[in-house]
Amino acid sequence: MRNGGGEAVLEARDLTKVYAPRRGQPPVHANRGISLTVHKGEVVAVLGPNGAGKSTFLRQVAGQLLPTSGTVRVCGIDVIASPLAAKRCMSVIPQECSPYDSLTVEEHVRYFGIIKGMDPRTAPGETSRLLSEVGLTEHRTKLIRELSGGLKRRVLIALALAGPGNQLLLLDEPTTGLDPASRRTVWKVIESLAGKGRGVLLTTHYIDEAEYLADRIVIIAQGRILAEGSPLEIQSRSASKGRLDIYDVDLLSAAAKAELDSLKGVWPVSFAREDHLRLAVPDPFSPEAVARLQGLSGLGVKATLAPASLEDAYLTIAGEMPET
Amino acid sequence: MNGVFTQLRACMTQFFKSAQRELGLILAFFLLFPLGFLFFLSILVQPSFRPQILVGSIMMEVALININVLAQSVAQDKQSHFFDLWVSFPVSPLVYVLGNALPWLPVSLLTAGVTLAMGIYLFGISVAVAPLLLLVALVLIWSSTTGIGYLVAVYGGNPRQVNMLAQFVGIVMTFFAPIYYPVTALPLAAQYVAYAWPLTWGAILLKALFASNLTQAAIAILVLSLYTAAGYALIALGLRWRAK
Repeated sequence: MRNGGGEAVLEARDLTKVYAPRRGQPPVHANRGISLTVHKGEVVAVLGPNGAGKSTFLRQVAGQLLPTSGTVRVCGIDVIASPLAAKRCMSVIPQECSPYDSLTVEEHVRYFGIIKGMDPRTAPGETSRLLSEVGLTEHRTKLIRELSGGLKRRVLIALALAGPGNQLLLLDEPTTGLDPASRRTVWKVIESLAGKGRGVLLTTHYIDEAEYLADRIVIIAQGRILAEGSPLEIQSRSASKGRLDIYDVDLLSAAAKAELDSLKGVWPVSFAREDHLRLAVPDPFSPEAVARLQGLSGLGVKATLAPASLEDAYLTIAGEMPET
Repeated sequence: MNGVFTQLRACMTQFFKSAQRELGLILAFFLLFPLGFLFFLSILVQPSFRPQILVGSIMMEVALININVLAQSVAQDKQSHFFDLWVSFPVSPLVYVLGNALPWLPVSLLTAGVTLAMGIYLFGISVAVAPLLLLVALVLIWSSTTGIGYLVAVYGGNPRQVNMLAQFVGIVMTFFAPIYYPVTALPLAAQYVAYAWPLTWGAILLKALFASNLTQAAIAILVLSLYTAAGYALIALGLRWRAK
């Protein structure tokens, strides 16, 4: 945690969301009792497969979606009972949100900043400062329709930072669809916000994003928290210490296939697809593992041996196959 | 924290900034109804029907534009997910709705003013009402339909469906609220239905004001005030603001 164990800016307790049944279908449980605390200066990343309940949880915290049961407090204020007061303490960047095409970058931050509580007298100066903070100064007079996806995201971040309060930032998949350079820029902005003592709760599909940004990772599946801890703690929950990835499995020679079959008898398969196989290796640095890798290479097989990663742990915990 | 009026002023300012870049479209919209009115009165309508057509045109410009524009603005925000952002802002839903509707009020009033002036000076329609009273009446007619515009938006689904629903409501209200003809022209049962629309009372109010019938105008003002209060209460209570 960047600023030590600050006070809690978010306390969610036993949040559930049940959607009423439709046309003979059973009710849908989007969340099943999620409890989570975020402290000042802390970045918490929520990971989970599609439909896990990440966005539902974030929308409940943001006061956009009423929970079926449970409580949410932001800066000690009940979001359900006193939404306006609670919203003064937080800002949200939704997953898919387009700013207004016919307004400029500067106009967005300035006027929506005033709507969010920025003092109109100091708004021009405050807007300039925010645009500089997110690296948008040179784009300030551009219309939104002239911006790339990454720059639009940064406008939304600047907008989220506008106004007083903002002790808690909620970011729903903040870098989805961005190119690597834009992702890095957004990461830097998020890091600096946490460094200034704001609590950040973000959802993401990107393991590297969670690993880079998060002080704490929460893995959600089917509306439940399956694991919670620092990236290192989560990584330690991988099924094995290493992994052997074999690529182009569908193109292997007969001899290579035979070698692979014998390997499957030694090390369990942790993930399999038509063209990609991953075996869980107890010790990736053992002479046996290295010899096996050399044997595969000698047969012309494209393979890599590596220590287990956060992604392996995520797959073990969430029990899902990665998508490509 | 800024007050409601500061928030509304920011809403209006951002709208006008945006409007400067779509001025041609707004001007075309602004001229459409007075031109339609001119067409009706020049070619089709007998002189005795002219005051009624004047009332109908003003109702279109003030009430139906409000319903349509508000419904489509909110639907567009829902489509772009900017609506979610608005819900997460520390603002009352009423500020959001008025922020979307209010900037169009001057456009509606200007359009109505042009139509009224054309009616008086080009076609000799007699209008015996104080300008300030007429202005208050037009604002009341406008505000009585704000709740309808919001309801169309939040129950209408995607922008295409909202557009269709707004057109449907517009057509129903235009032809089944007696804005272009006297309410007595409807069958008795339909008259009861017509009295359920605020547009009917808006038309009654304008006709009463033009004819200096203050008793009837007072009744219409009372009914329109009730529609306004009910509509704003529904919005302020957060109808379909936070998802359930």
